[in-house]
Amino acid sequence: MKKFLILVAATAALTAAAIFTPALAQLRVDVTQGVSQPLPIAIPDFVGDPQAGANIAGVVRADLERSGLFRPLDQKGFVERITNINTVPTFGSWRSITAQGLVTGQVTQQPDGRLRVDFRLWDVYGESQMLGLQFFTTPENWRRIAHMVSDAIYERITGEKGYFDTRIVFISETGPAVKRVKRLAIMDQDGANPIFLTNGSYMVLTPRFNPTAQMIAYMSYIAAKPRVYLFDIETGKQEVLGNFPNMTFSPRFSPDGNRVALTLETAGNSDIYVMDLRSRAIRRLTSDPGIDTAPSFSPDGRQIAFESDRGGSQQIYVMNADGSGQRRISFGAGNNGTPVWSPRGDLLAFTKQQGGRFTIGVMRTDGSGERLISSGGRDEGPTWAPNGRVLMYSRSLGGGAGSQIWSVDVTGRNERRVLTPGSASDPAWSPLIQ
Amino acid sequence: MSSSPSPTRAKAAAAAIYRRTQATTARGPRYGILASAVFHGLIFAAAIFTFQRNFDMAEDSNVVPVDLVTVADVTNVAAQAPPAPEPEKMDIPVPANEPPPEPQMQEIEPAPVPPMPKFDIEKEVKPKPAPPKKTAAQDFAALLNKLTTTEKPARNAKPAERVIPGIGSGNAMTANIADALKSQIYRCWSPPTGAPDARDLVVDYALRLNQDGTVASLQMTPGTQVAAASNAYTRAASEAASRAIYQCQPYRLPLDRYNVWREINPLRFDPRQMMEQ
Repeated sequence: MKKFLILVAATAALTAAAIFTPALAQLRVDVTQGVSQPLPIAIPDFVGDPQAGANIAGVVRADLERSGLFRPLDQKGFVERITNINTVPTFGSWRSITAQGLVTGQVTQQPDGRLRVDFRLWDVYGESQMLGLQFFTTPENWRRIAHMVSDAIYERITGEKGYFDTRIVFISETGPAVKRVKRLAIMDQDGANPIFLTNGSYMVLTPRFNPTAQMIAYMSYIAAKPRVYLFDIETGKQEVLGNFPNMTFSPRFSPDGNRVALTLETAGNSDIYVMDLRSRAIRRLTSDPGIDTAPSFSPDGRQIAFESDRGGSQQIYVMNADGSGQRRISFGAGNNGTPVWSPRGDLLAFTKQQGGRFTIGVMRTDGSGERLISSGGRDEGPTWAPNGRVLMYSRSLGGGAGSQIWSVDVTGRNERRVLTPGSASDPAWSPLIQ
Repeated sequence: MSSSPSPTRAKAAAAAIYRRTQATTARGPRYGILASAVFHGLIFAAAIFTFQRNFDMAEDSNVVPVDLVTVADVTNVAAQAPPAPEPEKMDIPVPANEPPPEPQMQEIEPAPVPPMPKFDIEKEVKPKPAPPKKTAAQDFAALLNKLTTTEKPARNAKPAERVIPGIGSGNAMTANIADALKSQIYRCWSPPTGAPDARDLVVDYALRLNQDGTVASLQMTPGTQVAAASNAYTRAASEAASRAIYQCQPYRLPLDRYNVWREINPLRFDPRQMMEQ
């Protein structure tokens, strides 16, 4: 009772305080609609070493432009010429050319031969420095530094982690359609530095990075037998994964890199297994008579999404990592397959097949909120950027014309082609390089 | 990304300030008093905490922030080594066999302190009656024509000494001015829309306008200030809103109603509808 009285008294006091506070005439405004447009940003060539300065600024501009969230302004329109990055720029002159962000940088050769790269990100309207960083590197490493600068700018302005200092493995396809050579290849996310990892004497499909971006699991037809292999990027060594009697495919690493989930086919029945890479112990996770395949771990490693036709059509299911609690989550029209869990954990990307069209979509992990985000009609095999914001996928051109790699923002905006040397498919995005 | 508990609580508390009067009457009879008391206690705790912080931040506002970045000694960049059995060059030459040494990052010396935009620090946020919610979309252009006066405000116009109480309580005129302002801000506002939790992107500002429609002062509300300090998404959202407010000034609003639009609080930016589209 005493407690109750205290409460009453306290409430009365607070209410009285509220009532006797003079009410001011403050207008309340809710802005709920805006215009999604890329941020105009000025990135003059970095000062110091003219060649390296222009190169680095050029890569940064290209990175940010490709994200669809920035609009690097043409240098010809710049009013102020940056000569010293350690003085405050004249913000008015940058506002006059509609810049909202300004990046100033400098590249200098150190006495020991290394490059030193400094840059600052300025808020043109807030008239303040948002970011200032300095890097040291060997001159041949300048592209990575440029990507790191892009990542830092992207993260500071959007609040999300960047994804520019990453790489893509993919399947490079050459030769005529009837005798196509499929080789494993790797390149930077912007298409620079492409290198073949295999020689083309055997076919390679569905490559997947491990969490350290050092190992790749893939399916390969060596001696006409399709099996899952592990490939060490550093040494170039490959090994068959597990001594399975039959065909294995669709491998994917667990987030800790210690396990690989894959599909084993026996007499027409495909089921999902998981292998511990250290003990090589194998555990069967599904056992129904339908086709269960395409496993993908959640970022916490506790759940696995996969596709199954056990309900009559190909749909997406989720189970616990030990195989328990299997449940269907996709109920939309058409067939839904190849689920890939977002690194952020909030979404599953998948391929929808409906009316002869293949489209990339995303849905929440309970199956709700399905959205289609690609427009090609022959799109499949999504892979996430490490920040969970951008996806890449294969787009088949049809009629034996090969394939291309495309990327799209998770919102469905900014769909564009990723340039590859020749025909390319099955992209897999690496984690952020450390 | 989930926000830490304190900003969430503070945000809820800040929102509750505006709902205070309704909150005490709308609750059920049994738990109403208890819930109300606890709630108000939280509000006061949050208010004390945030206002204190408010003053502290004003003291520190001359410092140019510099981020520290550390890079691991060991890199996982590989693949420059030629793979077995026979590597083959593509269009671009293969880099050296040895991966180049890991770039190092260091803190950069801050640049000379730039002039900071001058923001007035509010003493406190006063509760106020809630204006009516806008229901139907309006033709902004027509509205503007109706509202915009031909009279030019004086140069270097200064804010009035004091807001006249009583005006601003919900009526059609207030709603029209709110719409007129929205119609002028929205074209400059490009919010970040990638956050996993869209609620992290809702930010509130207190805006004071001069008679000529230019910004006299702009500051985040205490709740947003706390949230932006701990959540990178909220910080990005608050900066996008601030850019929009500065970029689209001066605002053309009816001068004879200056007492209504002199102070806008909260000026809320909520991109959730946009994200659903």
